[in-house]
Amino acid sequence: MSQFLIKRFIGLIFVVIGVTFITFLLGYFAPGDPIRGLLGNHFDPHLYANLRHSYGLDLPWYQQYWNYLSGLFRGNFGYSFAQQNRSVWDILKDGVPVSFELGFWALLLALIAGVPLGIISALRANTWVDTVNMGTMLILYALPAFVLAIFAQLFIVWIDTHSGLSWPVAGWGNVWQYDWNNLQPKIVPILVFAATETALYARLARNSMLEVLRQDYVRTARAKGMRERTVIYRHSLRNAMIPLVTIFGLSIGLLVTGAFFIETIFNIPGIAQISITSINARDYPVMQATVVLLAVAVVIGNLISDILYSVVDPRIKAS
Amino acid sequence: MDTKDHNPDLTNPGVMTPDTTMGNFAIGYELDGTITRDAHVTSPEGMEVPQGEQQTKKTATPLQESLRRLRRDKRAMISLSVILLFILIPIFGPLIYQHIGGPYTSSVCNCQIGPNVYHNPYHQELDRLDELPSSQYWLGTDAIGRDSLARLMQGMLVSFMVAIMVEIVDIGLGVSIGVLAGFYGGWIDQVLARFTDIMFAFPGLLFAILLTGIFGSQADSAFSSIPIIGANGNARLILVSLALAITAWPLMARYVRGQSLQLKEQQFIEAAHTSGTSNTRIIWRHITPNLFSIVVVAATLNLSATIIGEAGLSLLGLGVQAPGSSIGLMISDASGSIAVHPWEIILPSLMLTIIVLAFCFLGDGMRDAFDPRSKD
Repeated sequence: MSQFLIKRFIGLIFVVIGVTFITFLLGYFAPGDPIRGLLGNHFDPHLYANLRHSYGLDLPWYQQYWNYLSGLFRGNFGYSFAQQNRSVWDILKDGVPVSFELGFWALLLALIAGVPLGIISALRANTWVDTVNMGTMLILYALPAFVLAIFAQLFIVWIDTHSGLSWPVAGWGNVWQYDWNNLQPKIVPILVFAATETALYARLARNSMLEVLRQDYVRTARAKGMRERTVIYRHSLRNAMIPLVTIFGLSIGLLVTGAFFIETIFNIPGIAQISITSINARDYPVMQATVVLLAVAVVIGNLISDILYSVVDPRIKAS
Repeated sequence: MDTKDHNPDLTNPGVMTPDTTMGNFAIGYELDGTITRDAHVTSPEGMEVPQGEQQTKKTATPLQESLRRLRRDKRAMISLSVILLFILIPIFGPLIYQHIGGPYTSSVCNCQIGPNVYHNPYHQELDRLDELPSSQYWLGTDAIGRDSLARLMQGMLVSFMVAIMVEIVDIGLGVSIGVLAGFYGGWIDQVLARFTDIMFAFPGLLFAILLTGIFGSQADSAFSSIPIIGANGNARLILVSLALAITAWPLMARYVRGQSLQLKEQQFIEAAHTSGTSNTRIIWRHITPNLFSIVVVAATLNLSATIIGEAGLSLLGLGVQAPGSSIGLMISDASGSIAVHPWEIILPSLMLTIIVLAFCFLGDGMRDAFDPRSKD
């Protein structure tokens, strides 16, 4: 067990180093000189050299990468190009809680709604309940998040014009505050985000439940004359949850990206929006930091799912 | 949205093992008695391919069986015809559309212009802004007076072109590296495994966003001198396709690797080894043909992700640039006036929805047809 985890952990460190290296290389080979662009018309060779030196850009690439990596492990993401004197973390720290809040509620709602929907579908497999349910879920699952977001916005606009309500179309309230004014703009983005995740969980839960119900031990349990409720809740459900645990770990990290389009369309000041702004401003340090942050979130999500997996399913210990 | 890349239904690489189908074959042949076992064995390549050329009327090859199953799947067939229609429309549509309609006196130049001008996706008619569908502009105009239908057709063309380019790279790289990793194992396998781990850690589109964001403007100037692509803002599509392909191929390589690992252990490969067939020949003649179904299914399922990816990148302003057109760019252009002119955003979103759903249904149908065991 611990050996398995250590092995996974070493693999994860390797992945993090790989991700940082790729993002570093992309920034390193990026066209144009960021300092040159920064100075614009006020070009002064002395100031230019000074700035390059203070950003560490005059060092050879391996030293730059080493400084970057060692900075990361100390929690230092470097300094922004576009907004001087501001550290990258200073820029990111407002966005992270917003994205996390959005992702947290969406994932929670998706779990609460998606898993039961999938189970119900599995228990009523190939009836009209299943067909309608899974048809809806397939459409939600297949549609890109931004199309759903746009349709949701259109719906709000339609409601607003027809009922005289002034429900906000975009924006976000204060983080973790839920009085009406702060809650109102949060509801629709969270619901849209949750909808896509719900579809994923429902589809998985249905497949996994059907798989379990087909097992011999379920037939045995039924043959013994056990009550259907016991068969489902005590025998099947727990085993059906095992694959979901993996996906749950994965979505912890992946939640942040789905938000990329939702944050853009609903104009939510989260980490994705910071990332887009920094790409347009050619602010490579901020961009790299967002990528590394998201990748680390995915990696940690993977680790969590590995741990949960080996806790829930003892059979996994052997491998 | 990127959770869609990692299709949970396909993560099991063991789909489509040929052993069971082969087993059915042998039985089928014996029951039929149309081809004797002896003739079958003595034919040089006959061991593993009783398919294709030498089959008789009564026995269907696995491919024919699969196609028959696919043809019976109504949803998949409807999706397929929708896709074919949507491929034909942007290819032949503009040719026809630019010849329909009478002359129109434009207030921009105070002269008469024909449909070949005002039905052009780049032409702006500055006093015909934000119109609803009419006989002159079949699907209305956008915020700067360009014909929406012409732009939509151009956007669909872009979507399909990107999808084709991405699939070429995806299948090429994915199959070659996947086969090598699966067949030889060793360091190729190790490198592939590590690389896929890293690529999976980049959440979905993020890598593509990063690549197009950093190198976008450079690609604009570098590729716009290429004649066919031209300076219409489509130059970045090459970069977009490349970025999407780089994110897509590791998954394909993983499927192919899993499948080749299983094939490698099959008896017919062992037989080929024993009879002195070279490794290269085994890979070309015996392994690659058997990968057909898994590659087709994975590629189809990936198509909708690619189309979404291109639209998403254009939506973020990282794909097709201003004078050019793309479904994502149309959405982004219209998103400013969503309250006043909802039609402009409904049109491209609806079109994207239909295309994506069609590809998704077709992919599902293909999987059911080519891999019956994965069905619930």
